[in-house]
Amino acid sequence: MADAEISPAQSPSNRLEEILDASDRIEELSDSENDYEDMGSVTQEEQANIDYLESVRIPIIDELKTETSEVQDDTLEVVLPFLEGNPNDYPLNIFGIPQLQREKHIAFLKQALGDYPSGFALLDASRPWLVYWSLQGLSALYYDISQYRERVIHTFSLAQHPTGGYGGGFGQLPHLAATYAAILSLAMAGEIEAYESINRKNMWHYLGQMKQPDGGFTMAAGGEEDIRGAFCALVVMSLLHIPLELPPDAPARQHGLTSFTDGLGEWISKCQSFDGGMSAAPGNEAHGAYAFCGLGCLAIIGPPKETLNKYLNIDTLIHWLAARQCSPEGGYNGRTNKLVDGCYSHWVGGCWSIVEAATTSDMWNRSALTRYILSGCQFKRGGLIDKPGKRADAYHTCYNLAGLSATQHTYTYEATMQIDLGGSALDAPYYWKLDGVHEEGKVWDETDHIAEVHPIFVVPFKAAHACRKYFEEKEGF
Amino acid sequence: MPIFYHDDPEWSDIEPLPQDDGGLHPLAAIAYADEYSEAMGYLRAVMAKNEFSQRVLGLTEHIISMNPAHYTVWLYRSRTLSELKASLHDEIAWLNPTALKHLKNYQIWHHRQTIIDGINSPKGEHEFIATMLEQDSKNYHVWSYRQWLVKRFGLFDDKEEMRWTEDMIHADVRNNSAWNHRWFLVVGGRDGKTLPENVVKREMDYAKSAIRKAPQNQSPWNYLKGIVREAKLPVSTLKDFALEFADMRRPDDIYSSHALDLLADIYAEEENGKEEAKKALELLASKYDPIRAHYWNFRKGLLDQSGVAA
Ligand SMILES: [Zn+2]
Repeated sequence: MADAEISPAQSPSNRLEEILDASDRIEELSDSENDYEDMGSVTQEEQANIDYLESVRIPIIDELKTETSEVQDDTLEVVLPFLEGNPNDYPLNIFGIPQLQREKHIAFLKQALGDYPSGFALLDASRPWLVYWSLQGLSALYYDISQYRERVIHTFSLAQHPTGGYGGGFGQLPHLAATYAAILSLAMAGEIEAYESINRKNMWHYLGQMKQPDGGFTMAAGGEEDIRGAFCALVVMSLLHIPLELPPDAPARQHGLTSFTDGLGEWISKCQSFDGGMSAAPGNEAHGAYAFCGLGCLAIIGPPKETLNKYLNIDTLIHWLAARQCSPEGGYNGRTNKLVDGCYSHWVGGCWSIVEAATTSDMWNRSALTRYILSGCQFKRGGLIDKPGKRADAYHTCYNLAGLSATQHTYTYEATMQIDLGGSALDAPYYWKLDGVHEEGKVWDETDHIAEVHPIFVVPFKAAHACRKYFEEKEGF
Repeated sequence: MPIFYHDDPEWSDIEPLPQDDGGLHPLAAIAYADEYSEAMGYLRAVMAKNEFSQRVLGLTEHIISMNPAHYTVWLYRSRTLSELKASLHDEIAWLNPTALKHLKNYQIWHHRQTIIDGINSPKGEHEFIATMLEQDSKNYHVWSYRQWLVKRFGLFDDKEEMRWTEDMIHADVRNNSAWNHRWFLVVGGRDGKTLPENVVKREMDYAKSAIRKAPQNQSPWNYLKGIVREAKLPVSTLKDFALEFADMRRPDDIYSSHALDLLADIYAEEENGKEEAKKALELLASKYDPIRAHYWNFRKGLLDQSGVAA
């Protein structure tokens, strides 16, 4: 959970943690542990799980104790009972693994779209995120979100800033994170009314203000420049079919830049760190969420095979991504020597489709991640979590589900595919297609099936295509 | 004690701008407390008329105390400070306890960066960072901020900076943030210029001695490989060292999966090393790092491809 805050999402989880009573959480945990103790002898399914965990464990353990190894040991002690047994007493799928608690998660996300009491003022700037995470999570669960269309449009018409872009809510300054969440939500809501609620001309000017002379983007005027900015800006530009040319009033023009993509690939290239991973900005530590932003951005600029090879060292990148899978937990961590966390199911798990489109397929352990999500990350009262002992939030629900979807599907990038749009700037993301369900090592059954998710936009394919198509066909702003 | 502005004479000239939620009920709506709601109304009003004043500083401080994650308030406060040419030292004195209360907050760090940039001196920042890292030794914001300080004030070759980084690694040799910082100091400040030979040797020795303390710790292995790559040395430079931890003639006595991984790279570059490289990767896939079996098999596949190409 700790890392959630620095992901592209301004995750409210830590803020929520500040609000929620800590003792309550501990009670939550010990409850489950007691249930587990009471179960007595080991069932056949449990024995199978224990054998599996043993089969993916690294058999080397260093004797030296440090803070890192101590928190890791403590974490394993909390997590393992959930991977071995079934402390929450969920019904099991045919592979002996807890079934996806679809109805509970749907109820949780519907609640996340509802009203919040005054103690949640900390989320005031993150409301666009809550909407995006919940709508995407619901879509992933095959829940029809069309009932929310009008309220989505209304919510974001209030948050749209008169000078372009979106803020967290009425009267808040525009911010690229809020803008990203707003555009994805509106694309999911769909149809003319949603698209036409967006002031694209102002958006063009706003994005022009974010472009920096060194090629990157800031998150807000006077705000920080990091790889989230680059990714969020490019996602918005591609979906809204914004002209590549910088607006005349863009400050970066005074430094000789003319296009939004000028210097961008080079800037992202500088975010690749010595160990192969990608960081928030040049020189910072490699981190899973920033890796997804960097790869996503490159996959918008052009076909992944071209752009990844041009701007990154793919060998070290893959080495670093593969190393993020925790053993024996099966889930991902965000950085070297950090703890497993369900949100990286997407931030790291989601990188694979992009990397595989540039190399070859099937480089990661989908079954181990599936086990971690289904056994370790489903909260008793609905929603998904960082790890056992934590509480659910919309952020971890959305990204655990996106990660679960990544384990279930394969996507290919087909530059020659016939599509009814494209042929203009930033059209690379529309050449992805769903290949099918990934069968090898499958440990989920039909009850656990998640909808496919667009590998770059993390919304349903249809939502992304319809949005782009609408704006391609529209004349002028 | 809640603070209100409506009967405060200092604010009598301001008509607050209430949050307008229009007709429909918005999604994820918050039932704001009266105090928060009113303060935000006054903020929107002063923002609308571009007021930068002492009372705006007070107002933003009040809102931040209720919601430190409000980027709008931070950005507007920052602009107000600059318009007023307010004392930046006072600002830092106010910021310190606020930052300690909200360790994971993005806005506070960016704000701090703006202020210290204006003050034009990193004095006192190292002590403050130390206090923050005591709470969370891998805090991404703190380390990124430290990197900004090094760059902004040209501390790449600062002996104190290097000594501090070594202390951090010494305290927890698995702290990858500290390793990354060392890399930043040693390589990041060189702008692509080649590393002097003595530095290459020093860094390799440093990483090697860290590995000997805990051979299964990936951070110094990544560092070591990075230095060798940066110095454009052949990876075989590390062969004897890797063999200390993974001698394939004794496949049951492997002390580090990372050594096996490195050996696979080393053998792959040797004239007749392909079979040995495969053996190392197979050991990883079957026994020493089985969760990544797909990845090790992918690497094995690459060996065959390179054979075809040759
Ligand atoms: Zn998380």
